[in-house]
Amino acid sequence: MFVLTLSVAMMAQTSLKGRVVADNTGTPVVGAKVTLANQDISTTTNATGEFTLLYLEAMDEEVLVEADGFIAALELINLQADRTNVMNDVLLQPDIVAQAQDEILLNLTEEEMTDDEGRSQSQASSSSASTDVFNSNTSFAWSTARYRNRGYQSNVENYYIEGLNFSSQERGQFNYSAMGGLNDASRYKEVLNPMEATNFTFGGIGQSTNYLMGASRYAQGWKVGAAGTNRNYKARVNATYSSGVMPSGWAVTAQLAYRFSPYVDNKGIIGEGIKYYSLGYFLTAEKIWDNKRLKLITFGAPTERGQNAAVTQEVYDLTGSNNYNPYWGYQDGKVRNSRIVKSYDPTVIATFEYKIDEQQWLKVAAGYHYSWYSNSALNFYNAPDPRPDYYRNLPSFMWDGQIANPNNVNSADLLFEADGKTHYPWGLFIGEDMNGKSLGSGFIGNDGNLVGPSVNKEQYNNLVDLWKNRDNNTTQINWDNIYAANYANNINNPDGAARYILERRHNDIQEANASFNYVNTKYNHLKMTLGVEGKYSQGIHYKTIDDLLGGNQWIDIDAFADRDIKELASNSGFTQEDIANVRKNEIADDYDNVVKANGRRFGYDYRINMANAKAWFQNEWTFNEVDLYYALAFEYNSMQRTTNMLNGRAWYLTKIADEKTYNNSWIYYGKDAYKTIKAAEAAGKLRAGTTYVGEAHYFLDPAFKFGAIYKINGRNRLKLNALAETRAPYARDAYISQRVHDAVVKNIYTHDNAKSLVDFYAASEKIVSADLTYEFNYPIVRGRITGFFTQSWNGTELNGYYDDEARTFVNQAMTGIDKRYMGVEAAASVKMGTYFTLTGVASVGDYRYTSDAIAVQSAENGMPMTQDMTTKALVFETTDKVLLKGLKLSTGPQVNASLKLSFFHPKMWFADITVSYHDWNYLSVAPSRRMQGLFTGTRLDGTAVNGWFGDDNANAIETSDGMVLLQPTINEDGSVNYNNAVLDANGVPVLKYPYNIMTMQESLAATNPLNRFLIDASVGKLIYLPNRQSVSINLSVTNLGNNTHFKTGGYQQARLPRAVRQGEKDYQNSVITANAWKYPSKYYYAWGVNFFLTVTYKF
Amino acid sequence: MRKSIYTYAILLAMPVVAMLTSCEPRGLKEDDVFVQEGSLDEILKAENPEGYKIYSLNEFLDTYMTEKGNFASDTCPYRDRSYDSKHDLYMFTVDTLPTKGSGIYIRGRVTTDDYAGNFYKAMVIQQIVNGEQQNLRISVDLGSAGGMYQIGQEILIRCNGLAVGRYANQPQLCVPSYNNNIYAMNASQKVGWAPGRIESSVFQRVTRMIGTPDVNKLQYDTLTLSQLYAEIPLVAVPDAAGMDKIRKADGRLVVIKGVWFTGEFDNNGTLAKCDTLHPDSSSNANVFAPTTNNVGYPQSRVISDGTNKLMCSNSEYSKFAYYYLPGADRHGVTECPNWRGSVTGILGWYEDKASDLADGKQKGYEWSVTPRGIPGIGVADVNMKNDLGESWVPKEFDPKDY
Repeated sequence: MFVLTLSVAMMAQTSLKGRVVADNTGTPVVGAKVTLANQDISTTTNATGEFTLLYLEAMDEEVLVEADGFIAALELINLQADRTNVMNDVLLQPDIVAQAQDEILLNLTEEEMTDDEGRSQSQASSSSASTDVFNSNTSFAWSTARYRNRGYQSNVENYYIEGLNFSSQERGQFNYSAMGGLNDASRYKEVLNPMEATNFTFGGIGQSTNYLMGASRYAQGWKVGAAGTNRNYKARVNATYSSGVMPSGWAVTAQLAYRFSPYVDNKGIIGEGIKYYSLGYFLTAEKIWDNKRLKLITFGAPTERGQNAAVTQEVYDLTGSNNYNPYWGYQDGKVRNSRIVKSYDPTVIATFEYKIDEQQWLKVAAGYHYSWYSNSALNFYNAPDPRPDYYRNLPSFMWDGQIANPNNVNSADLLFEADGKTHYPWGLFIGEDMNGKSLGSGFIGNDGNLVGPSVNKEQYNNLVDLWKNRDNNTTQINWDNIYAANYANNINNPDGAARYILERRHNDIQEANASFNYVNTKYNHLKMTLGVEGKYSQGIHYKTIDDLLGGNQWIDIDAFADRDIKELASNSGFTQEDIANVRKNEIADDYDNVVKANGRRFGYDYRINMANAKAWFQNEWTFNEVDLYYALAFEYNSMQRTTNMLNGRAWYLTKIADEKTYNNSWIYYGKDAYKTIKAAEAAGKLRAGTTYVGEAHYFLDPAFKFGAIYKINGRNRLKLNALAETRAPYARDAYISQRVHDAVVKNIYTHDNAKSLVDFYAASEKIVSADLTYEFNYPIVRGRITGFFTQSWNGTELNGYYDDEARTFVNQAMTGIDKRYMGVEAAASVKMGTYFTLTGVASVGDYRYTSDAIAVQSAENGMPMTQDMTTKALVFETTDKVLLKGLKLSTGPQVNASLKLSFFHPKMWFADITVSYHDWNYLSVAPSRRMQGLFTGTRLDGTAVNGWFGDDNANAIETSDGMVLLQPTINEDGSVNYNNAVLDANGVPVLKYPYNIMTMQESLAATNPLNRFLIDASVGKLIYLPNRQSVSINLSVTNLGNNTHFKTGGYQQARLPRAVRQGEKDYQNSVITANAWKYPSKYYYAWGVNFFLTVTYKF
Repeated sequence: MRKSIYTYAILLAMPVVAMLTSCEPRGLKEDDVFVQEGSLDEILKAENPEGYKIYSLNEFLDTYMTEKGNFASDTCPYRDRSYDSKHDLYMFTVDTLPTKGSGIYIRGRVTTDDYAGNFYKAMVIQQIVNGEQQNLRISVDLGSAGGMYQIGQEILIRCNGLAVGRYANQPQLCVPSYNNNIYAMNASQKVGWAPGRIESSVFQRVTRMIGTPDVNKLQYDTLTLSQLYAEIPLVAVPDAAGMDKIRKADGRLVVIKGVWFTGEFDNNGTLAKCDTLHPDSSSNANVFAPTTNNVGYPQSRVISDGTNKLMCSNSEYSKFAYYYLPGADRHGVTECPNWRGSVTGILGWYEDKASDLADGKQKGYEWSVTPRGIPGIGVADVNMKNDLGESWVPKEFDPKDY
């Protein structure tokens, strides 16, 4: 069918004009992409929904119109030569399914933020770009599996709002909770594929998303909605009013959204033990006059929500549910969750756009954002660990010491082998004691697992029963006991620290940002874009008391340092009294470390001040057959820590460094702070609340990218993108122990110690990336296939964990991490008759480490890490190689495929069903478990490791001259890995890559291939009512097949099981024990079947 | 516009709903978390359809702790060196208690405190029966248990499904546990079943706190060493009556008065003088508990009244382990009369080798008193004065002196 066109013979060129409006309401659709398929030319609609395409060829043409939240429309037109062809209005139908999915996705991403600082273990990508077949069909469908675009961590993605950078400078991530529930605020966005030319920022190897919030985009009228779901919150109500563009030129849109769930205490259901309250507001105003445009935007969503935790497989099996949550317990008969997040991100943005003339326009934007983000957690002092899933509280702890020495594994007759249950890999119980006496038969426990004869059967089954029956005192927090401990303490020790408190850990961010963009199209074929961005952020970190839980007060000292004080004294050659300060979290002559309820900050109180400036320049050349672009960027970053508390461990480390007359003993304070503190200390005038300013560190990072599009014909094109850049480490990875002191990882420079500008580049990660895409676009079928390759070098990563060898909390700074990402993305969408569309998408990747890392370990409280076996000297910092080379990155499944059948009936019925398959998903490895020293007995720095995998009598693999290389280890499936050792050119033992290591990296993919499939479905109906009113209803069901075996992520615990070898002194006494799974991995599972039902009324 | 009234109503209602619904449960009061004596019977009746009995501690031992224990079997025996055939003596036993049937309860007041580190995953409860102390050790796998079950706290324990046994002849509430610690000294002699620690979650589930803690209700038996040895045998007679007497005296809370530290230690049955070396390198240094190189046995330091002697037993992991003995310093030990006074603590009799007892190898140093702390660190259990009437102030070993 040809649309009638009105031809106006005005100019001697062929052009097309038209307008895109929403069906029924007739509201203009702003920012819709209009593409002429045969000529491969596109543009976007303006504020009134109009578009113009110039310099066209006269021919029969297909006009494809795509816009966020609408179903794409295809119109046929006969373009007549040498005139302006005017189309009828293109009516777009709202895509209520996509709208609902966007909303689910946004909430999912917010709920995924699980740790203290709002960082997710496995955050889904939340951007969807509706105009790209691959992106629009993967972002929602693969979100359950935590698919990550090209295997990148979320911090390489760029998130902008109206051209302003809103990714955190500390961690690089975007805070979705700022827009919690505000589905209208996040509705419009431009999403650019990695490395593509953008007009709002330079971009990078990840996707770039720019949320567009101008009020003129919103259709005039009211919209009220309600939603019900069985996810973490249960219901949502929302209302939006949009004025549309008024005669005055102003447009205003406002939304309120409230999401809630009371506490849920039905054990085993989604959201167990979680409450959820969030009230979001969004207000945007836009004024359009002449060729200018002013936007004022503010939004925020005060939210309070409970959290849940990853637990070990044993706990999932015992409780029989993937929804078990250890964070809550009954208090006064009601549910109370110990982990409550409070967040509120008020944001204000102002932008001004000025169209200087038809060929030049500029945009300036400025924003301010304050993010309150805090979560509560139990803390305790000289009292039992209150976590119900603490490893000592689980039945498997009874197996400790009863697991066979893996090196005896060949003597099968001595062992009781596991019954093939794959998720209990610990498997091998001793069958005889160390004197060779047979211990008899094992037994099958109440949980169906074979247990060795030396485990106390009755106790074991008793404990299993308590877990299986979800005994409140066993599987949940015992608030009664916590209060009782505090009340008892008030009597016995009225001036002492409460035994338990609920503390609140604040990780606030304050940021101000500005950007300037200038576009010039004066020259034929060339579009020049110039951008300047600046941002200043403060990460604000401190703790307060949420609830003393009946206690009188809290004494602000560090439990680890307090416990270790005897050893710390002995190691440093001081007395305990000399170093009593070490345990204090704040040292001041006028402060007694007593914290009352609603009192001052305690624990730590520091800020990371970060400045960022970026300038970029981009040229885009457009020709008939080829488009080209290239862009150059230069980025400056700085970071500086300031603290309001002189921490006792920083003081102690400095004292030791002073004692040893190190010339850099200031590093834990910063140079200036060192002088200030030393003077105040000498005068006895250390004052609480003094701000100590640490060292400023600088980074300079260049970037370059280019790309080309070769238009084979209107329907087929080839795209090439390439990029080279360096990225400064985030503050999170730069400071070795930012809560305690100012020291940074190696290669990070200050003004004083940098010898040249090159030093400011030394710590940065170096990245090159390229992709090649073939894109096709026919009326029946469209899609693309892309191959991509990215290599990065010199990454930095920081970890902290409890180290059983040093027996204290250890910080591990890894540098020199190289990674490679390569793979293929493909998508095709086929129209099948009038009503059906079949879409297939797939992504197959290989994302892995391509180098080992160098790790430096140091104890947070200054304890020695080990001892030199020969000289007996204490070693405070160990350096070792982390065997990462060949391991897969744990950034979601690396094989993903799905098939989606969509149905659309012009009577406004929508339905779709998607079947997805995910595989090659790997558990995040704990570097502490992959240290070279564990396999060879010697660290990179030459220090000896006390105890490797195995024990003294192991059948170690030796070289011909008797050098012990490697000892056998047990694979996750219980089989023995003899770690075939080879020597490198220098005679240093290396591991064969990738197989030996790979066999030890755990796969998250379900054992049964059928359980790697997920099914989603949705159905919707839009009902048009008189007077431009409408009602839409949509039901989205995720994981329709109720696949409860789908692991979405997890991590290895860093702790290694060790035992004390009696009779050996100090650091030589610790050996790794045979119970390699004493601290098993923790997992996240996909929710079982869950739904999201929305009803929206527009009027 | 009329229809927008509803919208406004919804918008206004939302924050109100938010405020009304998002509060946490009310804070708990003392009465909510401590069981009141008066309501005890009612609670226990409800918990035990088949009835219940609260045993006195001695009654409990007499009823359930047998000479040989009921747990180990031939294939899975008690630890090797705990048995001696000459007198059919078992130093390590476990008797499991019935899981079902009527409720078996014991109650007592916690006398120990683990803050200073001399008690670790162990506590002692005391019950006063007819003015006399009865005591029982409890072995529980709960780090910092003293933070939850605090000194002076009366607790009630439902013992069904638990066990009672003897660890080195010390009676205790426990569970059977198989020792397979291949890293222990003389590991092969220690392998086998033994009384083990009750799992923390199990213990917390079966234990109730009755009322709030009251340290003033603890009974201390104040004795001279002569009085003490008049009551208990210095050298054990390995017959049933003799062993019973020792076992019932174990765990007693005593104040040993009129004593001083002699600067000696038990050197395998003979007394030897402490040295002045660094406590990191010498197990015989003149501090409360120098290193054992992680073997972990309690260090013994001798207290004396001039006639009799008793071991004061301390852990190398205690916070005061490296504090000088009263009267000791960098240069040695000055004996009486410089510092004398009292040592308070838990009385214990530890013997893990049955053959030593049977062969009469005892030297009379099996008894010990374990203080819960020293002045300034935990419970001030070591109190000494000098001739000038000055109180002993603990002084820490100073590495700079070495």
